[in-house]
Amino acid sequence: MSALRMLSSAARRAPSTLTQQRRGYAEVADKISLSLVLPHQGIMQAIFTSQDVVQVNLTAATGDMGILANHVPSIEALRPGLIEVIESGNSSKKWFASGGFATVHPGNKLTINVVEASPLESFSSEAVRANLQEALKVAAGNGSEEDKMEARIEADVYEALQHALGSK
Amino acid sequence: MSSATWRNVFTYNKYAQITARAVRQSLKESERVVAEKRGVTALKYQQWENGVGGQQVFLNPEEDKGVGKSAAV
Repeated sequence: MSALRMLSSAARRAPSTLTQQRRGYAEVADKISLSLVLPHQGIMQAIFTSQDVVQVNLTAATGDMGILANHVPSIEALRPGLIEVIESGNSSKKWFASGGFATVHPGNKLTINVVEASPLESFSSEAVRANLQEALKVAAGNGSEEDKMEARIEADVYEALQHALGSK
Repeated sequence: MSSATWRNVFTYNKYAQITARAVRQSLKESERVVAEKRGVTALKYQQWENGVGGQQVFLNPEEDKGVGKSAAV
C-alpha cells in the first residue's frame, strides 16, 4: 500500500520538470523564413529569401506593423511603403515596395508578394521630388475625376518614398 | 487620406498598376530604363470558329504596334 502511495506522489512531482517552458523572451529562438517575391523575379530567383529573419517591418493598409516569429497566420494588404527586414546579425535591409500582400503562414513562413520593389539605394530623390510636384499639380488641377485620382495615388506613393528616403 | 476613396474609381488591379508605375518612375536613371519596359502590356486576341482561327487583332492598335516579343526573364 505504501509503495503505491510513494509511486503516485512521485508521479505527481515529475510533471513539473516536463512542463518547464523552453521559450524565453530574452533570446529569440525561432526565426522567420521570408520570401520576398516580385512578378518579374520569379519563384526560383526571388528578390530575397532568407531562413534567418528575426523581424520584418511592413506598411500594411491597416497600419504599420512588425512581424516576429510565431505570428498568427494572417494576410495583410500593403500600402506603398518600406519593407524592412532585420536578420539575426542585427543587419537590416530595406526595400521600397509599390504595394501587394504579406501572408504569414503557419510555421514561421512569411511571403511578401509585391508588384514593384527596389532597394532604397536605387531611388533618386531628385526624380521623386520632381514627380511629386508634377503629381500634386495634376491632382489640384481641373482634369477629369479619374486623372485627379490617379495623380493623388501617385502623390501618395512619392510622399511615402520621400519619407522612406529621408529616414534612411 | 484619399487612399481610401480610389476604390470608387478604380479596380485594385488598376491601383496596383498606378503605384507600380510611380515606383518605376522614381528609380535612378540606370535602372529606370529596364524597369519601364516591365510596365508595358499589350493584348492580342483572335476569334476561333469551326476550328479555324480568325485574324489576330491588337486590342489597342496604335499603342501596341511597337511592342515586340520579349524573351521571358
